[in-house]
Amino acid sequence: MNQLNAENFDQNARAALKDTTLRGALRNLAETFGGRRKTAIASIENWEELREKARLIKDETLLHLDKYLENFAENAEKAGAKIHWAWDGKEACQIVLELINAKNSTRVVKSKSMATEEIHLNRALENVGIEPVETDLGEWIIQLAEETPSHIVVPAIHKTKKQIADLFVEKVGIEPTDDVDILTKTARKILRSKFAEAEIGISGVNFGVAETGTILILENEGNARLTTSLPKMHIAVMGIEKIIPKFADLDIFLKLLPRSGTGQKLTTYQSLITGTKQNADGEGPEEIHIVLMDNGRSKMLAHPVTRQSLACIRCGACLNACPVYQQIGGHAYGSVYPGPIGAVITPQLVGISKTKQLPYASSLCGACREVCPVKIDIPELLLHLRAEITDGEANGKKSEVEAKGKFAESLAFKAYSIAWGNIGTYKLGTKTARFMQKSVVKNGKIGKVSNLMAKIAPPLGNWTEFRDAPTIAKKSFRDIWKDDLKKE
Amino acid sequence: MNTNEAKSAIFDSIRRNLAESLPFDEIHNEHKAHQSKDEFDEVISVLPSRSNLAESFRENLLSIGSNCEIVEDKENAARLIQKIINQRKLKKVAVSDAELISEIVNSLEIDGDFLRNASKENLFETDLGITSAQFGIAETGTLVIESDKEFNRLASLVPPIHICVLETEKIRQTLGEVLRELEKDLSRSITFITGQSRTSDIELTLALGVHGPAKLHVILIEEK
Repeated sequence: MNQLNAENFDQNARAALKDTTLRGALRNLAETFGGRRKTAIASIENWEELREKARLIKDETLLHLDKYLENFAENAEKAGAKIHWAWDGKEACQIVLELINAKNSTRVVKSKSMATEEIHLNRALENVGIEPVETDLGEWIIQLAEETPSHIVVPAIHKTKKQIADLFVEKVGIEPTDDVDILTKTARKILRSKFAEAEIGISGVNFGVAETGTILILENEGNARLTTSLPKMHIAVMGIEKIIPKFADLDIFLKLLPRSGTGQKLTTYQSLITGTKQNADGEGPEEIHIVLMDNGRSKMLAHPVTRQSLACIRCGACLNACPVYQQIGGHAYGSVYPGPIGAVITPQLVGISKTKQLPYASSLCGACREVCPVKIDIPELLLHLRAEITDGEANGKKSEVEAKGKFAESLAFKAYSIAWGNIGTYKLGTKTARFMQKSVVKNGKIGKVSNLMAKIAPPLGNWTEFRDAPTIAKKSFRDIWKDDLKKE
Repeated sequence: MNTNEAKSAIFDSIRRNLAESLPFDEIHNEHKAHQSKDEFDEVISVLPSRSNLAESFRENLLSIGSNCEIVEDKENAARLIQKIINQRKLKKVAVSDAELISEIVNSLEIDGDFLRNASKENLFETDLGITSAQFGIAETGTLVIESDKEFNRLASLVPPIHICVLETEKIRQTLGEVLRELEKDLSRSITFITGQSRTSDIELTLALGVHGPAKLHVILIEEK
């Protein structure tokens, strides 16, 4: 269904705006999660201090990422886990594949993991005949629909109850219903039979503790617990930025993430897993493999502004707060990670040439910065990326059409700065503009201009497509001042 | 590359990029100098805070829709559980190996079986799971189960109903306190449970019991 990509963001956004069902769902999301978040953070006495503390921990960790990664790997291995390193997504998929093949099994269940979405793990497995079953309800829904997630936390938010019910009728064969409980029970029944026979469980990791080699997975449904306890082998895929230094630090992040993401004090379940069981007849997997993946992350360490991208704990609060995301949803971004955080990490993970429009998918309102639990300054990042894009273009790295456009733009700015830099040309300029605007001002404002005018002055044409343009006052302040002084 | 080559590549890249960042770091830190480096409070408070931990625990758990009762002793706990078994006509019950639970279960009657050490297949057939816990966290109504201290904790996950019996002396006020205690002797797997399994994946409508239990009863034993 959605082969959308970031290069067509403009078109995708316009199409999304026409989808009233989607917009209703997104409005519901923003209001519900926004409201719950506010209530939840009111239960913390020193919320701002908590954010500050979390950010400092993240900064410290990232500045010494190699040391903490080394610690984590050492401690995890001491406890019985096997550590694997993957430079990129392809390697990570390869490692997972080899582990599965070694088990000689195809019965794979998965709990929700954005890292595995990022590397398109499911596709890699399906290509060789292994069908991993997504067990998170939202992920299972989009797996049935053959779509990608449209939100970091609630992947199927773009689908209505009716669409989901129709999907179940078609793919699973139930009777039509609009009862959410029945739909949920259906999913439970089907997925439990998968759990019962699963031999390999694949999960993500929310936090990796360097001090102890512990990985923490949080959830509400219980499918991650099942995925990481029932099968004989557990494979955890983890971005290298998920490391935190101390076990005690978990307190801070567990207070921030659920409140920010879903407005809960705590999600229903947290699993803290440190290595493998100590005796053979204990519960749990016999083997646990942790795949530590770079896939473009270490590059982001090269500048303090981009380094903060790696502080992200994937709570989704920025998506819920963003006025752009609220209107167009996740698919329009055409990237694995949507919303504000997606707009800044996708160009860095995937390369700027294919994702040029994403840093511009923002009015820089700063709502994301307000709600980010680790105080990532996303607007600062967006401006940084925009500067990179423009610099890249100044070095001739773009198409000829864009080259002409950029040349015209820089010429216009040069002319503007010369004209406005001199009092004589400034006065002449404003007088001329005052005269010329007469042809477009109607009823005291400049509304949508004619096609001819739009061709002559594209910036004006673009602006007035959806907005009125400000008019130039009939008399300049300088003249009013002069005239009134004369009267005295 | 193989995993060792990948590891070298990753560490090289980390060190190289951090080095590249150094000149920018200094300037950036000046701008952000307003961030205070003062000492933070040790404890992050969650409101409201009550002096009675059991009450606090109970309140928080009730507020998210689970059941929680405070009783005086094991006998009363057993009575409550018997009521649930009778009312719902439960037949197959998975129990953990906690001593407290064994004692309670020995005094119960059932038209069916209590399964200690249930196999995977049997677990999926059970109607109820009974466990204890090693800690409770009052500020959120959370149960903490350590795999090395209590076996068959899948009894808290697979059956559709979970009953947990916990002595109130095991309840701590904050998550931070519990983490500090857990750290002294880390089990392979520690589970925090706060309420019933839930999801809002369908139109943000709350649905309970997706994968884990739809019903959670916590019975707190407050020995006077």
